[in-house]
Amino acid sequence: MTLKSIFARFGLIIIIVMFFSFFSYISPVFLTFDNQVNIIEASAIVLILALGMTLIVAMGGIDLSIGIAFDFGAAFAVVALKDFGVAWYVACLVGVMGGALIGLLNAVLIVILKISPFMATLGTFFVGSSVERVFTNGGGPISYRRMPQEYRDLAVGDVFGIPTEVIIAAAVCVVYFIVLERSIFGKRIHAIGLQKDAANVAGIPVRRYMFIAFILASATCAIGGLIGSANIRMFTPLAGFSYLLDAIAAVFIGAAIHPKGRPNVIGTIVGVLFLGMIGNGLNLMGLDFNLKAALSGLILVGALALAVAQQRFR
Amino acid sequence: MTQSMSTKLLAVFPIIVFACLFVYLGVQSATFFSLGTFELIAKQAVPTVIVALGLATVVIAGGDDVVAGGIDLSIPATAIICAAIIADQLTNQGNSLVFAMTLAFGAAAIIGAINAFLVVGLRMTPLLATLAMSVAIVGVTKVITSSRRIGVTDETIIFIRDGDIFGIAASVVMTAVLVVIFYHALHRTKWGMNMQATGGSRDAAEISGILTRRFVVQSFLIAAFAGWIASVFVLARGSGSSPGTEENMLLEMVLATFLGAAFSPRRVVTLWGAVLGAVVVSALSVGFISIGVNVFWTGCIKGGLILLVVASAAVASKGRS
Amino acid sequence: MTDALLKMCDITKSFPGVLALDNVALEVARGEIHGLVGENGAGKSTIIKVLAGVYKADAGTVEIDHATLPEVTPRSVHDAGVRFIHQELHLVQHFTVTESVFMGQEEQTIFGLNKRVMRQKAEDFFETALGTTLSGNTLIRDLGIAERKLVQIARALIDDKAKLVVFDEPTAPLTSGETDKLFTAIRKLKEQGIAMIYVSHYLAEITGICDRVTVLRNGQNAGRFEEVFDDSAPAMITAMVGREIDELFPKTEHTPAEPRLEIEGLSADKFEDVSLTVHRNEIVGVAGLVGSGREDLIDTIYGLSKPHSGTLKIDGVAQKFHAPADAVSAGIALVPRDRRHDGLVLDMSVSDNINLAALDAVSNWSLESRRAANTVATDMSETLDIRPRNIAATSRLLSGGNQQKVVLGRWLNKGADIFILDEPTVGVDVGAKVEIYQHIENLAQHGVSVLVSSSDPGELIGLCDRILVMLRGKIVAEVSTANLGVDELVALTTGGATREAAS
Repeated sequence: MTLKSIFARFGLIIIIVMFFSFFSYISPVFLTFDNQVNIIEASAIVLILALGMTLIVAMGGIDLSIGIAFDFGAAFAVVALKDFGVAWYVACLVGVMGGALIGLLNAVLIVILKISPFMATLGTFFVGSSVERVFTNGGGPISYRRMPQEYRDLAVGDVFGIPTEVIIAAAVCVVYFIVLERSIFGKRIHAIGLQKDAANVAGIPVRRYMFIAFILASATCAIGGLIGSANIRMFTPLAGFSYLLDAIAAVFIGAAIHPKGRPNVIGTIVGVLFLGMIGNGLNLMGLDFNLKAALSGLILVGALALAVAQQRFR
Repeated sequence: MTQSMSTKLLAVFPIIVFACLFVYLGVQSATFFSLGTFELIAKQAVPTVIVALGLATVVIAGGDDVVAGGIDLSIPATAIICAAIIADQLTNQGNSLVFAMTLAFGAAAIIGAINAFLVVGLRMTPLLATLAMSVAIVGVTKVITSSRRIGVTDETIIFIRDGDIFGIAASVVMTAVLVVIFYHALHRTKWGMNMQATGGSRDAAEISGILTRRFVVQSFLIAAFAGWIASVFVLARGSGSSPGTEENMLLEMVLATFLGAAFSPRRVVTLWGAVLGAVVVSALSVGFISIGVNVFWTGCIKGGLILLVVASAAVASKGRS
Repeated sequence: MTDALLKMCDITKSFPGVLALDNVALEVARGEIHGLVGENGAGKSTIIKVLAGVYKADAGTVEIDHATLPEVTPRSVHDAGVRFIHQELHLVQHFTVTESVFMGQEEQTIFGLNKRVMRQKAEDFFETALGTTLSGNTLIRDLGIAERKLVQIARALIDDKAKLVVFDEPTAPLTSGETDKLFTAIRKLKEQGIAMIYVSHYLAEITGICDRVTVLRNGQNAGRFEEVFDDSAPAMITAMVGREIDELFPKTEHTPAEPRLEIEGLSADKFEDVSLTVHRNEIVGVAGLVGSGREDLIDTIYGLSKPHSGTLKIDGVAQKFHAPADAVSAGIALVPRDRRHDGLVLDMSVSDNINLAALDAVSNWSLESRRAANTVATDMSETLDIRPRNIAATSRLLSGGNQQKVVLGRWLNKGADIFILDEPTVGVDVGAKVEIYQHIENLAQHGVSVLVSSSDPGELIGLCDRILVMLRGKIVAEVSTANLGVDELVALTTGGATREAAS
């Protein structure tokens, strides 16, 4: 095996291991069980959003509005609880529907109006951000300190010692894994992502699948919004935007790890944990938060470049 | 209605919408159609015009197809980081404007080079590459500014903000000169025609012996350069470097550039189109504020306008060959 | 001996598994229009690509103007004065005529582009060199196809250094009226002493405009006509197809039953008023050159494009297909002409591709049963003799013939009963061809209706019960294959029998 082929197959994994070793060396706390659990817990929301993104990218598209779906999920749920006093599970349902609404908008723009996924979801992002600002009269949060404990528990509770949010994220992982990697729907979605025309000729109803996929992805992101709002007991407009790039990066990093370079659930999980590890490690190094922001950004670009370069060498 | 008639109607649909918007604004606000307002619109449009020039160049060289073609979302971020570097050098380090701008130019050059490498060298989707770069750049900016505002009192910057050249606002005159230079380079030279050919049809260009990769690389360098120039005007407008202005600039830049395509006679992204688009967007902002529309609605309307323009173009192009 | 401007001698070129050119010679005299004819796969495009420097010949020499080219590269050939007018236009839609003509060779002073001068030169060139009037400011997208072709020609010739121009199927996308513009231009060029190679399937045009003609068959020289008359076409066809008896085709043992697919008055962008019927246990063929509308007919039937008017009935029930998925539900299968782009998902395994149209059958509660899928794939691989037998292999790696079998296998697995085959053996080796023909015959014996669209006349006659011929968008003939000679069929598709000569 030449150096090039080793790099092509394992480049990113080697980098991940290097970072892991580096952080372990630099901080005594990094390697502790509690810290590793912290990483996983902190990654729960990003993971949920990244899974939605995995579905879309596997199908050959991109979704820049996942932050908006996240926000709508939070907003709909919090308002339902606060202004309509519904039960916590109803609020969750309403939140997910809020996300699905965003997905519906995307689906209509992309499948019916035939706008490219980039432009369509960018437009949704802009429109959605403004709607949020208008709705909150300037971007202030809607807080609900006295939310039902069951809802709050989505973020702070635990089941048999495992944090609820981790269980939710794991559940979403399992569902997505089954759908995308083991079901016949997933097979068709991968076919569409690989060669849309061939999938079309083979009789796969491409437009219907794309329509449903965008709705599904946004609905999934809304689940992340439920957890986020439960955590801080409020809906903060535009909070979802910060997850966008991490989600995209995780999907591409995950694709690079896959033997065929396809976006996949396991790879996305690894990608999310990698990013979580970076954030956690930089934190433990006690860096100034501006420096942290800069380093995370640079490492992200580097990891993406590596992921893409790896694909080119295959 | 024949197919070509309905196609043409769809193509001008955005223009009709805009015309109506302006009539509405003119009617609602007594002062809208006044010289003072026009000057305000022009001054407000300056940073958007400049970054839109950069984006237009990348799109012209890369092709209108947003997925496979050219796009550079990192230009506003470049403008912000250059503004931060200049402000930091002027105010905190006490260096001259020339030195500060040179340093900032270096940063912009590095950014442009990295973008070019990612897109042309690694063949990363421009969308992903420039989006990721944008985040990285903003992060590095935070280090320079510690997420705090840096005020600037350099007299040249103040002149750009307040001064006049031959009776017209200094920033507007300088921007106009820049537009003329860009226009000449891109539409009146062999180099410019070849860049247009590269974006128009890669195959056609390569068959004609044009080195397309080189042009795409140059387009990203030019885009970063535009970001650098814009930074000076951003500083002037804000009398310093402030955190958090990037997202709005991004929205306006994209809207202006793609809106311009709807206004151009050939229905493609052009420099004049981008300039006109920036002015129209600025006019809308000024207009809405002057009639008291909630400033957050303007963002919504702008987003809606992007979708309107792109949808019309997408539907109209189905009727074309 | 005529003064040879171009002399290609003993050109040999082979690709893995196929000898594309075998000691081929091509000679073009100064100022002559030299025709190059041959069936698909005869080697026409290969020899042109060798001349263009796109392929490197294994043996042979290229001499231009009595000087042997040491290295045949696109650059050296261009410098020697050879210009190529490809089938694909490669124009930018939103450029003007002037901008397109001068692409890559713009003229400028220190002040910038010399737009006025370029425009004048372009318009003059169209007038004097091509015999037509065209305004330099018109946008490409506002031009008709014939005019776009002229722009493409102008771009190649405006530097005034062309000695030899190669036209590759120039009239394929043109209507009868538009070809006149092109021929005027070609005759004008001849007046200026420019030599030309004219590659085309339209024999009526070849006999109308060429001085001499070279015929290729199976990668070899099959004839050279030193004199070309209006009635030379039949002799050319004989040279093109040879007198080989094809024993590739299985005996026909099926008898047509009730009508299954009925199309009436179907019209779309590239064809008009097409009616055809395919019965159960019948194989119907559609013949026609590129541009005859044959491809669009197939696409429209399958739901890939929308018709303007007409009806399509299956078992007497009218159908409207918005997408291939609808056609597939109605029991139709398409084996597409572009196998690698539309037929297979290249990066998926053989097993995945075979199961792709019938995933429900191998699933439990929507979960794919790998075992069931593999069993299906293995069985199909045995039945069709797909090599290698490894169903986990990535489809990209298979040979053309085996890839085609995978596509066929997919539809056999689905149980479709109306098969549409578009160019079923393009890029397929002889061995696999024979197998595929046998499978098609088997289908027709077991209740399936088959529609075959092909540019290979021998294939159509060998396989089909009857053939419909399309020419420039219309059906011009329907013939039974009993006692049909290949020459007759070729004559029908090239319009030799019914069209007037071009001059």
